[in-house]
Amino acid sequence: MRKTYGKTLPGMKLTDLAGKLIVVEGTDGAGRTTQINRLKPWLEELGHAVLDTGMTRSPLAGEGIRRAKEGNNLGRVTQSLFYATDFVDRLENEIVPALRAGFVVLTDRYIYSMMARAIVRGMDAEWIRKLFSVALVPDAVFYLRIRIDDLIPRVIFSRGFDYWESGMDVFPGKDMYESFRSYQSALLAEFDRLSVEFNFETVDASADADIVFAQLKAKVQRILEADSRKDFITTLRAPTPAPAAHRVEERAVFIPCAGTATETEAVFHPVAAHLTSPMGWDPNRQK
Amino acid sequence: MSTGNQVRIGPFEILQPIERVAPSLRERENENLPGRLFIVEGIDGSGKSTQLTLLHKWLESKGYGAVFSEWNSSPLVKDTTKLGKKKKMLTPATFSLIHATDFADRTEKSILPLLKAGAVVLCDRYIYTAFARDVARGIDRQWVRDLYDFAVTPTVAFYFRVPLETAIGRLVAARDGFKFYEAGLDLGLSDDPAESFRLFQGRILAEYERMIPEFGLTVIDATLPVEVQQAQVRQIAKTHLERAKELRVRP
Repeated sequence: MRKTYGKTLPGMKLTDLAGKLIVVEGTDGAGRTTQINRLKPWLEELGHAVLDTGMTRSPLAGEGIRRAKEGNNLGRVTQSLFYATDFVDRLENEIVPALRAGFVVLTDRYIYSMMARAIVRGMDAEWIRKLFSVALVPDAVFYLRIRIDDLIPRVIFSRGFDYWESGMDVFPGKDMYESFRSYQSALLAEFDRLSVEFNFETVDASADADIVFAQLKAKVQRILEADSRKDFITTLRAPTPAPAAHRVEERAVFIPCAGTATETEAVFHPVAAHLTSPMGWDPNRQK
Repeated sequence: MSTGNQVRIGPFEILQPIERVAPSLRERENENLPGRLFIVEGIDGSGKSTQLTLLHKWLESKGYGAVFSEWNSSPLVKDTTKLGKKKKMLTPATFSLIHATDFADRTEKSILPLLKAGAVVLCDRYIYTAFARDVARGIDRQWVRDLYDFAVTPTVAFYFRVPLETAIGRLVAARDGFKFYEAGLDLGLSDDPAESFRLFQGRILAEYERMIPEFGLTVIDATLPVEVQQAQVRQIAKTHLERAKELRVRP
């Protein structure tokens, strides 16, 4: 049975959500989207059905948020709640149904980005945690971490500075470059704190995209191997054996990838056991 | 949570966060705002809007700068709410959140600044409407209260208490048919809109009753003649206006 971070939305059943919920988090420009665009076809090749989703993609609130941001006219409480509306719409109508159907759900950002943004804007950390206590606890959070000095060239030589990514609403007196530095550094600090509380697996995103991808593949593979459905799938298969070709493909999903798994050990260390989360769930949740 | 300098995540040191750029939501200086906030609550057909309009007229006649803020009226959020309602996309959770978003925008852009400027702000429906409706839809009582933690506590929250049958009698006379969400048809209580409305409003009424002691709502007997109710409302409002020091006058 799946868990939430404390509260359950009306009508949401937490049983039989057999799929995997994998979160890719990180500040702007860390390469999340690039990695998801590579993970998806790779997983599909392995035979997994994949749903990819991300912030402001809900049919309900996505367009409204984009319009609101155009006006640079969005207060910090309103912003948090508008994003929460978008998130819950996707949670109820996309993520949960996909998990129920056994999909691997890859999500580009999750509640943690929204938490970091709100906290950096000076909002009450407890309030934002309560707001998102209805979210499902994911199977893994991969945190693409990039230092501010590695991030700046990426931004300059790709899309340039953007009002919201530079946190111009937080530092209205500064120019865009200074504001970007201050805002993204603050976000980074907050992500680091969240990474302890929510047990993120940190990946050095300043490395080459291929290396990041290899690390992510190994991590995803480990989650799929630890699939609680393995027994379920076996019992399902027992009475009516599937055709031979189909079985080969299905088995390919669970082939361990020993070589890469050890490499990733160097990147992720379980956090200190004395750090307990304010909401009462186990921060050292290990699969 | 303490994250000392020695805590490391993999190869990375943990950065210390920059100092807070804005006050936390919980630092309530709201209670001492110079303005006054009067809100009215009650089920549909309780007559609360009539009473608020009459209070507004009286405030104007006395020279106070009084400003309305309507439930569900933020220009920023309006289109999204309309889309959700029209296409029946809203679940109890997104219904709750989109109304909270609307309320947040109005709080940030109008209610709070107006109160800081010393205006008298009048709200037809406030957070108690959200609490009553959302809980009637199955939302966790505490979660929705926490959601609206940023709201300014009203100077007076008038609750127009009326028996369900009286309210329904007034509404049936006044209009034909009910809207989908208004009647709680999303809950599947009944296929008949009138019956669904009755059941849904019954649940809402029960939530209001529970909130009277919880939030200290000022109860007005809404079965009394309009004039009698209004006299009570004005009497209560007057004591709070007299105590205020820096209220704006109408330009």
